[in-house]
Amino acid sequence: MRTERDWTGRAVSKTILCAVVVFLLAPFIVVVGASFDSATEYHVTFPPRGFSLAGYETIPFKYALAGGISLIVAVAVAIVSTLIGLCAALGLVRGNVIGREVFQSFFRLPVQIPFVVTGAVFLQFYYQLDAATGVNLLNGFLGLIVAHIFVAVPYSIGAIASVLTRFNPALEEAAQSLGATGWATFWQVTFPFIRPGVMAGMFYAFIVSFGDIPVALFLVSGERTTLPVEIFQDMQFDFRPSILAVSTLIAVLSLIAIVGVQRLLGFDMIVPAQKR
Amino acid sequence: MAANANPVRDDQAAAATNRQPGRTGTRWEWFLWPAVLISFMLLVFPQANFIWLSLHADLGLGQVSDALTGENYLRLLTDPFYLNAFWLTLYLSVATAAFGLLVGFPAAYALARIGGWTASLLLSLILTTSLITVVVKLIGLNIILGASGLINQIVLGLSLSNSPIQMINNEFGVFIGLVQYTLPLMIVLLFGVVQTIPVSLEEAATILGATRAATYWQVILPNARAGLLSSGLIAFNMSMGAFTSAVLLGGGRVRTVPVLIQQTIIQETKYGEGAALSTTLVGLAFLINVAVIAYLFAGGRQRVGQRAD
Repeated sequence: MRTERDWTGRAVSKTILCAVVVFLLAPFIVVVGASFDSATEYHVTFPPRGFSLAGYETIPFKYALAGGISLIVAVAVAIVSTLIGLCAALGLVRGNVIGREVFQSFFRLPVQIPFVVTGAVFLQFYYQLDAATGVNLLNGFLGLIVAHIFVAVPYSIGAIASVLTRFNPALEEAAQSLGATGWATFWQVTFPFIRPGVMAGMFYAFIVSFGDIPVALFLVSGERTTLPVEIFQDMQFDFRPSILAVSTLIAVLSLIAIVGVQRLLGFDMIVPAQKR
Repeated sequence: MAANANPVRDDQAAAATNRQPGRTGTRWEWFLWPAVLISFMLLVFPQANFIWLSLHADLGLGQVSDALTGENYLRLLTDPFYLNAFWLTLYLSVATAAFGLLVGFPAAYALARIGGWTASLLLSLILTTSLITVVVKLIGLNIILGASGLINQIVLGLSLSNSPIQMINNEFGVFIGLVQYTLPLMIVLLFGVVQTIPVSLEEAATILGATRAATYWQVILPNARAGLLSSGLIAFNMSMGAFTSAVLLGGGRVRTVPVLIQQTIIQETKYGEGAALSTTLVGLAFLINVAVIAYLFAGGRQRVGQRAD
């Protein structure tokens, strides 16, 4: 009797789980499948009617260029926001700080602001900055990198702080009592312990920057822009099969990168914990 | 329960020793200040400039008046066009969060109770779908939901309808897009919530004669209450600010506030009005968050009180 009830109860939630996984994976499967479709007209169908690599052969060069820009921006954002995040996490977790919760909430504020608003805010700020000081951050990609750093820092802090709270300072004392200097202690004892958190923080900052559309839409105008924005624009105004091919490449490369990071850091490191 | 509590206590103990100053002679708090300074500059100057801008009237071509005025905000509160946009954004976000909890919690529950490598694999698949740039997902949804898409092929093939069902370029399409956008993170968060509910609690309820449904409603859900509300709130916040999904699945016809912000500033170059729209959106979301969190704390205290009785 009890096992029967157990079975029906669990069956409902398991069925929902299966449906959810199919629902979440379906868009990617459809994009990959449709990218090999032999149709040349401007609307796509799934399942594909015939196999063709035409979509891949006609990928315009501008996508490669945009991909390179996205990559450079995301790497710069990942490095800088991880440095800021490391400083903030060390200070917050290890330091003797009055009003720790206030600082924690303060650092989390950027997450509460929608990306569209962040884009608009930085656009207007750069106009004012240009008018007041002559520094123009809207030429080139420096302005975009700065805005992305603003959005990404909370993720870096969260990832690093969650590992740092598990670090036992007695290890540092041991190192120092054996004669290690402050720097040597940090680089040879503390940093190796928190390295997975630092790398997870870097990974999240990269993802935030690489996936963004709204902020880049405001801050990068003209011919050259980031890859997601390029696809976003063409999706609305100039749809062609090569968009599917590029999207497939993005999905596959992202998957490889994510699996690689998971292997390197362990799955638990990249699952966002609730306290973040 | 005791086995579950121990690692937490160790963490707290470690954190407490962490915070004892000067044990290794390093003044760690000095590291905080450069980060605070940079974050402060990136937050306060741009935001202050933006809010200041929202208090100026638009003169056209990106010019704003010199005099301060509240007319941008007054228009948002009185013009039915803007009121409708806020209402639309609000109810799409509430619907997304509610639906996400409805399917996300059972899914997370099943995942947590299956356990093992199957759960890890499924969870990392779910997480991966949210890490790949959202535009790929939206292209896929356009293909699935479109007039000649997968679902309409099935519907027409089975003669369930004479004409294709309109599922994109309307509110339904945006709703599906928002669910796709928020559900993976929700499941990951809810998975963490379910893991904090010990299986022994369920077993105890079953031994005492509770049916599975009763266990679910009276043991699991009350224990997950805070986690449910905070995950729902995160999905709500994400939906309130969602831009890309609203554009690509709404086809420009579903004008949520984030879509309007972009149109007002980029296309119409009405900077004052765009700033007022943005400030109001952030303010509204903030107030709703405060209200829900206040409700959560009040409710929590009440429940503890009842148990004491």
